[in-house]
Amino acid sequence: MTKPPFKRIFVANRGEIAVRVIRACESLGIESVVGVSEADRDSLAAQLASHVVCIGPASASLSYLKPEALITAALGTGCKALHPGYGFLSERASFSRLCGESGLVFIGPSPEAIEAMGDKLTAIRHADAANVPRVPGSGRVSTKAEAQAEAERIGYPFLFKASAGGGGRGMRIVRSSAELGPAMDSAAAEAQAAFGDATLYMEKYIESARHIEIQILADAHGNVVHLGERDCSTQRRHQKLIEEAPSPFISDDVRRTLTEAAVRLARRVDYRGAGTVEFVYDESTKQAYFLEMNTRIQVEHPVTEMVTGRDLVVEQIHIAAGEAISFSQDEVRLSGHAIECRVNAEDPSRNFAPGPGRIVEWQEPSGEGVRVDSHCYAGYMVPPYYDSLLGKLIVHGPSREAAVEKMLTAIDRFKVVGVPTTLGFHRSVMGHDDFAAGRVNTRWVEEHFLAAKSAVTPSGKQPGKPGVAA
Amino acid sequence: MDLTHKDVKSIIGIIDDAQHLDDIELVFAGFRLHVKRSSGSDTGGRAPPSASFESPLPAASPKLAQATQPAARARVEQPAAEGEIVIRAPMLGTFYRAPSPGKNPFVEVGQRVTPDDSVGVIEVMKLFNSIRAGVHGTIVRINVENAALVEFNEALIVIAAD
Repeated sequence: MTKPPFKRIFVANRGEIAVRVIRACESLGIESVVGVSEADRDSLAAQLASHVVCIGPASASLSYLKPEALITAALGTGCKALHPGYGFLSERASFSRLCGESGLVFIGPSPEAIEAMGDKLTAIRHADAANVPRVPGSGRVSTKAEAQAEAERIGYPFLFKASAGGGGRGMRIVRSSAELGPAMDSAAAEAQAAFGDATLYMEKYIESARHIEIQILADAHGNVVHLGERDCSTQRRHQKLIEEAPSPFISDDVRRTLTEAAVRLARRVDYRGAGTVEFVYDESTKQAYFLEMNTRIQVEHPVTEMVTGRDLVVEQIHIAAGEAISFSQDEVRLSGHAIECRVNAEDPSRNFAPGPGRIVEWQEPSGEGVRVDSHCYAGYMVPPYYDSLLGKLIVHGPSREAAVEKMLTAIDRFKVVGVPTTLGFHRSVMGHDDFAAGRVNTRWVEEHFLAAKSAVTPSGKQPGKPGVAA
Repeated sequence: MDLTHKDVKSIIGIIDDAQHLDDIELVFAGFRLHVKRSSGSDTGGRAPPSASFESPLPAASPKLAQATQPAARARVEQPAAEGEIVIRAPMLGTFYRAPSPGKNPFVEVGQRVTPDDSVGVIEVMKLFNSIRAGVHGTIVRINVENAALVEFNEALIVIAAD
């Protein structure tokens, strides 16, 4: 076996992605050290890692969001590199910079690349320069007069968006000029509160949109490859629920346009590592526009791994060590169809209310083309401090129909008792005619699926019965 | 410009005695000293001040990378007997028993302490946080070696309270 790229890597995250990184380290013969909060001492990541360090109390702001504690723990345990996972500090440029200054390799892009994509208006400028089309819209708007003038040009409806934003915060739909003033005020206030920056810009509102994103990898040797797209249109309140690859509806032409655009943008910001360029596809005009770039590994990366047979986390580690991507663009072959369902500890019948608690029973499905990425086990206490993701159920089949069938079977074999789960919701979506036909846009779950059901009643086999005594 | 342990101690003393002060910042060429009264601590009713300074002494953090490997699951903590107070690490960092290399440790087993006595320092990225005894008593056990990485909430020192 060749020499591993690093002797020991620090995992600065928790949950399923910490487990995912530890497994990638194992496969490369690399030791892993995981930094855990007090609440995660018994976590699967803590059990699987070569070493464990408690970095702080349960509250994320005092542990997983504490750069000094993480870097001190990494250096103190002899790690040479740090994997930030997703969320937490993964897209904070100052953290990437601090790692570098402390002599730790940050497994991700440079602080400059994170900054270039972190501020949405800056990202749009780079996209323009790389000839990547953006959603028709404005630059920074500071006054209502300015916004009125831009609104005439862009047309109604449009969105106010926060330049520092994400996750739908600081965002408002404006359908008429009468709504403009109040919407601008509330968007700016929300952006200021959420991000400490009230800067707004405007974008045409796309009524019927699909979410398409392109996975790219870039190394220090000038290689940039794409690994095709993922379709993440099945969303609720801007949160992705189901992702698949390839997209069930885009044409080869659109695919080529978007993958080429993503590669151009990555080159433009001298990108390094794994990244995702997100696009919104307007169903009425059949145009795709740049939304943003995520400068980290994504939750939904496994669907790309299933259709390409490539290990993205392993590639991240190689790239961080200065090595070249282990394959060329020509060697990227897409095969079959993959679907991922996010299994959250949420109760769909109670408006997706999170339900932390003790998992009494946990039985994962397995078999050919079935993969579960999770940190859960029977007896595990789902803590109330973090997000509700229990794991990801991923299937791969020769065709989309086969993948949907496989997903339905896998859902029925997935047994979770003790906490509510979204498995029943996923079963209903998989069995829905619109999903089967690939007719899902980003508003479908809320405006059609949930509206029609008013309450999602879990069918007989739904095992997530809350309130089962431990 | 050298900053000795004595200097730091007297600065901490100033802020400790001055109830109206919450922090002091001194800036000289080459270094900055920031002393801040911390709030929230498990060492007792009062909040002891903690000092932090960007170390002017490069030797202040020796062999960080070779610090003792922690093994959270393997560590068995000796339970404290009645009347014993356990001083726990308020943060993850590198624990030093002495103010600087070559200096005498803050405390040894058997030594008498008063609440304001420093029993060690924890360094987090060149910021030094002093750990106080918090009680009147006698040092019973010192669980951690000098320059070891300590975890959040790790038992550092056991004191038999008066």
